Amino acid sequence: MSAFQFESGNSIAIRDDLTDAHENAWAALGAPGTWLTGAQRIAVAAEIRQACSCAHCSRIKAALSPNAVAGKHASLGGLGALEAGAVELIHRVVSDPGRLSERWTQEVLALGLSEGEYVEITGIIAMVMMMDAFTRALGAEQRALPAPQTGAPTRHRPAGAKKQAAWLPLVEPEDATEADGPLYPSPKAGYIYRGLSLVPQSLRDYWALANMHYLPGQFVYKFDSSIRAISRPQVEIIAARVSALHQCVY
Amino acid sequence: MLRESMHAGGKEVNVRGVTAGFDVGVDIPHAAMLVEWAEATVLRDAVRISAVRSALRPLLGDAGLVDAAAVIAAFHGFVRIADAIGIPYTGAAQGRDVPELRAEVGINDFYRMRGEAAPPV
Repeated sequence: MSAFQFESGNSIAIRDDLTDAHENAWAALGAPGTWLTGAQRIAVAAEIRQACSCAHCSRIKAALSPNAVAGKHASLGGLGALEAGAVELIHRVVSDPGRLSERWTQEVLALGLSEGEYVEITGIIAMVMMMDAFTRALGAEQRALPAPQTGAPTRHRPAGAKKQAAWLPLVEPEDATEADGPLYPSPKAGYIYRGLSLVPQSLRDYWALANMHYLPGQFVYKFDSSIRAISRPQVEIIAARVSALHQCVY
Repeated sequence: MLRESMHAGGKEVNVRGVTAGFDVGVDIPHAAMLVEWAEATVLRDAVRISAVRSALRPLLGDAGLVDAAAVIAAFHGFVRIADAIGIPYTGAAQGRDVPELRAEVGINDFYRMRGEAAPPV
């Protein structure tokens, strides 16, 4: 167990698999990715935190028609050539994820992001939001972003990726190749598991973290027991309410 | 998933509570506080987060508190992947997400289900 400091000098013990998952996730975020360098990935992480206090995002969130709000996001300006598309992607996915559309996705790509960059950034958003929400819930100080590591992105696009079921291409289990590395624990992996499969390393990084937060796949449909220190209905009432607050139809 | 987990214990839950709020009779220990903690975390309300966490800690124990926080956090990630990639909702929960359940929960009132798409600026 590792101690986790939170307000008023209190500490709380965190199970080791969860602590390790966070350590590994932060290290992965600072490393070169598939389409982004380590520096770009850390700039994305910084912009994710910036989006949480963006006034334009607040106006969009409050608007009946989110795509009709004029204005500009309060960006840190650290994303270089990715700036236009990445800032819109990051701010909207952070602040109002339940009101995106396929047409909005295409507009973001038209601002200069590749599909691979879009998916890799989405994976970073999901990981940073998860880890920051955890520290926020426990009242702990937000962790400083890691230093970026040098190196070149791998630029691997799975040969079997195709746009069919979702707004972005996915790799269906039967289309995965050895070059993609391990992707799915089972050929029946659900679409939420396949979401990041256009960027296999992002998929692996994300699920290594998410499985420790929620449940590894082999336990998801075992409703009569819990591997966590709260009951399965307690897990699921939290899950359902958080999803609903985000207007997530999934 | 909530309904299935309740059925496994021989219990029922009014799933409409997911969107409309649960009544006091929901048969899950500390449900109201767990929901309030989740809501406060999503809304970044530090005062509420702290108050509910303090109340929950002696009830759940440290391990339970950590696991509840971990689940709250997990769904800050899942929703963003699902919604940014536009994965098909009809495959949710291995097909258990039937249209009748979506209507019962109130999911059909969500933006994506209404198919709204205002003109871009």
